[in-house]
Amino acid sequence: MAGLVWVMVGIALWHFTIFVPDHFWSGIVGAFLGAVVGSFVFGFLIHGLTVPGQNDTGLLNAVEAIPGAVLGMAVVYWIGLRQERLHPAV
Amino acid sequence: MSERRRSLFVLLLVLGLIAGSVFAVSSRDTKLGLDLQGGVQLIYEGKPTAQQPQVTQEALQRSLDIMRERVDAFGVAEPELLLSGGNQIEVNLPGVEDAERAAQQVGSTAQLFFYDWEANILDEDCQTNPDENAAEKRPLTGFYRAVQAAAKCEPQSDRNNNAADAPRFYAFNETSKQPLNNGQPSESRQAALTDLSDEERANAEVVEVPEGILVVRDEKPDADAPDPDRFWIAEDNPALSGTDIKNPEQNFDQQGGGEPIVTFDFTDKGREAFQNITRRIAQRGQDNALPGTNPAAGSQHFAIVLDNELVSAPTINYVEYPDGIDSTTGAQISGSFTISSAQDLAKILEIGALPIRLELISRSQVSASLGAQALDQGVLAGAVGFLIVALFLIVFYRVLGVIAVLAMGIYGLYFYALVELIPIVLTLPGIAGLILTLGVAADANIVIFERVKEELRAGRSVGQAISAGYKKGLTAIADANVVTFLVAFILFILATAGVKGFALTLGVGVILSLFTAVLATQAMLYAMRGTALLRSRAALGARDSKPIRFDFIGRSRWFFSMSGVILLICAIALAVQGLNFGIDFEGGTRITAPLERQASVEEVRDAIGINNAEIQTVDGEELGENVVQISAEELAPNQVDEVENALQREFGLADNASTESIGASFGQSVADNAIKAIIASLIIISIYITLRFQWKFAVPVLIALAHDLLITGGVYALLGREVTASTVAALLTILGFSLYDTIVVFDRVRENIPRMPNAAFSQIYNRSMSEVIIRSLATSFCAGLPILALMLFGGETLQDFAFALLVGTLSGTYSSVFIAGPVLTHWKEREPVYRARESRIRGQFGGVVPAYAVATAGAPVDVAPSESRRRRERLTTPPDPTRGVSSDEFEEMVRDLGVEEEKPSAPEPAGARSAGDRPAGGRRARSRAAKAGDSGDKPKKPPNRRHGRPR
Repeated sequence: MAGLVWVMVGIALWHFTIFVPDHFWSGIVGAFLGAVVGSFVFGFLIHGLTVPGQNDTGLLNAVEAIPGAVLGMAVVYWIGLRQERLHPAV
Repeated sequence: MSERRRSLFVLLLVLGLIAGSVFAVSSRDTKLGLDLQGGVQLIYEGKPTAQQPQVTQEALQRSLDIMRERVDAFGVAEPELLLSGGNQIEVNLPGVEDAERAAQQVGSTAQLFFYDWEANILDEDCQTNPDENAAEKRPLTGFYRAVQAAAKCEPQSDRNNNAADAPRFYAFNETSKQPLNNGQPSESRQAALTDLSDEERANAEVVEVPEGILVVRDEKPDADAPDPDRFWIAEDNPALSGTDIKNPEQNFDQQGGGEPIVTFDFTDKGREAFQNITRRIAQRGQDNALPGTNPAAGSQHFAIVLDNELVSAPTINYVEYPDGIDSTTGAQISGSFTISSAQDLAKILEIGALPIRLELISRSQVSASLGAQALDQGVLAGAVGFLIVALFLIVFYRVLGVIAVLAMGIYGLYFYALVELIPIVLTLPGIAGLILTLGVAADANIVIFERVKEELRAGRSVGQAISAGYKKGLTAIADANVVTFLVAFILFILATAGVKGFALTLGVGVILSLFTAVLATQAMLYAMRGTALLRSRAALGARDSKPIRFDFIGRSRWFFSMSGVILLICAIALAVQGLNFGIDFEGGTRITAPLERQASVEEVRDAIGINNAEIQTVDGEELGENVVQISAEELAPNQVDEVENALQREFGLADNASTESIGASFGQSVADNAIKAIIASLIIISIYITLRFQWKFAVPVLIALAHDLLITGGVYALLGREVTASTVAALLTILGFSLYDTIVVFDRVRENIPRMPNAAFSQIYNRSMSEVIIRSLATSFCAGLPILALMLFGGETLQDFAFALLVGTLSGTYSSVFIAGPVLTHWKEREPVYRARESRIRGQFGGVVPAYAVATAGAPVDVAPSESRRRRERLTTPPDPTRGVSSDEFEEMVRDLGVEEEKPSAPEPAGARSAGDRPAGGRRARSRAAKAGDSGDKPKKPPNRRHGRPR
């Protein structure tokens, strides 16, 4: 259940990337992947490579997905910027 | 074939099928499912036994055949037995009222063994003492104690083992010592834990009973007594088995007071073995008899054990049978039988034992009254759904709407005929599927009718508009219906029983609705062309109206933000409250009982004595006013009986109670199948969208679907609504519905991309959305109407289903317009071609991209679409004589021929001038403009072949 919560928070935060200039690797879809993967991997790591079940899921699980999602999107953004610098659009 | 002939042929076909359908409907009976007519449903999971260490398909099929023979022998009308879910067998027994007896009749393994009892009984030190009479021994009280005692014994690895020729593992609750898995053994420690819930597993203790050691439940004192909590420990050295007997029959004991018994004959081998074993028992009895003792008291015992339960242990009188019993005239099993249990045992023995053990993982019993009520509610919801959809179509599309309603009526008739011809067992979820397909059928008509209206507004005649509407609308309808059909197919393959019925009707309905909503309505309209009815545009609901000019992409950031906030709320609700999984997933027992006298929840709780049970009163016209529903952890059959007896005693039962018991392992398989179905649907949908559109169109579709599913899940968490197997079916249907909308939108985007070679992608999307927004809203509204009918009139099961659909449909409409489209736009705009267009447009319009494409000098907004489809036609295909030119097309021609340039032109925008002397527009437009400039006054051949074609 916590896995679902992490992913949901990641996708929720991804919606706000529309306000950020589109320098993400693969654009808005890349940002989506970054948010989903980032939130899940971060949650998974801080829980010692386990995913808490329905009874062990709480508000904290929703909160802990935020840094993961932001980190994931930041990584995708950084890759995008780097690619733009290496291969500037004609 | 000419259009007129084709229409005539289709109309004749429709009429012929109507006649056939009426005949089929009037001559056949509808097969109703258990939920609509009452009955018992049993779902078994195959478990390995020592004799059959693996549950193979062959073993399951043999078990199914044996079970079918048993059901036939018990005389159940129209039973349904089928293999499902890999290792499950589903048994549907309409009209049967006693679920426990049915389970006993159908699913008992029926492994019968005969033992020399004194020679096999073990004491607490695991020792046999054949010289000690069994009457002087006492069985152990408590199953846990007995299994623990058996676990201490050394394995008896001799060749005689049969019922226990491998170690067996029993699971218990570590604290309460209560048996888990209904006290049934498993073949390994791991298997003993597999079917337990997480909570049970955490507190489970598994005890191993070695090979060759049996734990046998003691004999019942009388037929009506509950199963005794006393057990014998014995060695597994049977003298005979069920295969050594023949011709078992229920009879009455002529010597012992006329009690019901089972008589049988032995096979030749069995007769000899029986004589030998009874001789040995008699001789041992004689050897151990003290002088002067009564032979009846000193004689030793011969035990008959069926499925590890002692049926009876008669004495072999050593005075009467010193040389054993000659069984040429047969033998008998006497025990604690009622007439019916003796009859059942005789039949089961006659048919034979099952090759594998079957564990009952789900048992439901629906009373006939509850079934009748469900049927009434389903029919009412269907009728209301039909009426409101019909009303909507007639109000909005006038004559076209009447034709669509006629087609819906024909669709209903065809569907009913198919239900009876195939035959499809009509269940409550199946009725839901049928009602939903009414929405699908109406959606197809809406897509076409909106297209017809567009053509009328563009200046075509009614006849031409109808012709063009069907041609252009068909692609979107075909794509959307194929996707819905694929989802239904996946549901049918992967889902559990109830959901399968829904998937079948949805799939059949989608195909059928394509025929009635597209072909039949087209034929009817073609036949009516030129009549007074179709002459007026107003009669078709096509009033002149201004197109909607909303900046969908510009405003999308606010809609994105709204979605983000909604999803955050849903995620928090999911984290804090979690999902309220029903017994379909968690396992448990639900009893719905109509009481004669009114009772409060607390009174019912006190009466049944289950403290953690969830009790609520429910409404039910057919069942009466005092209906209570009790939900609790999984109860054993005898516990269900105790609850029913308590209710009968305290409040009186107005009718049979309906019960549903679902094991945790069944719930797990429902959940697993749901996840598989969702993943498979998403994969298939992605592949289809990629093939029909582009792979870049598939990704936004998946994101929009994830959005819809998560929001629906979040709303369930937020409201604490119960998640059932129906909810899963609804979630999967949402995939189909959400896609319908998205495909309608994307189809227009696909159509507009080649039409607008100079526009930015955001402009193409805005234009496409403005063209289809009414259509999109109308299809969603129309799909929502039958769902609303289900919610208002469908009863408890259908309401639950409809709620998920309603949330999903709303979310699906929203996500198609404001999530899928903008994601596609943002993604496509990264492509070099659209990036170049955008930068050119920004240059022309002072750094901004107008929401809608604006025609600039030398570069029209629209060009004629590609002719590739036309080229695939036969060379000999004659030109369509009915085809005319719409006013829009005429303007296009004028623009393409350069006539427009001779008009006094508007001042060139500053942006365009600042871009240099280069003419505005794309590469091809600039090339055209350059050629026109080079040629001076020389007339040029129009570049578009279509416009040069004689009409």
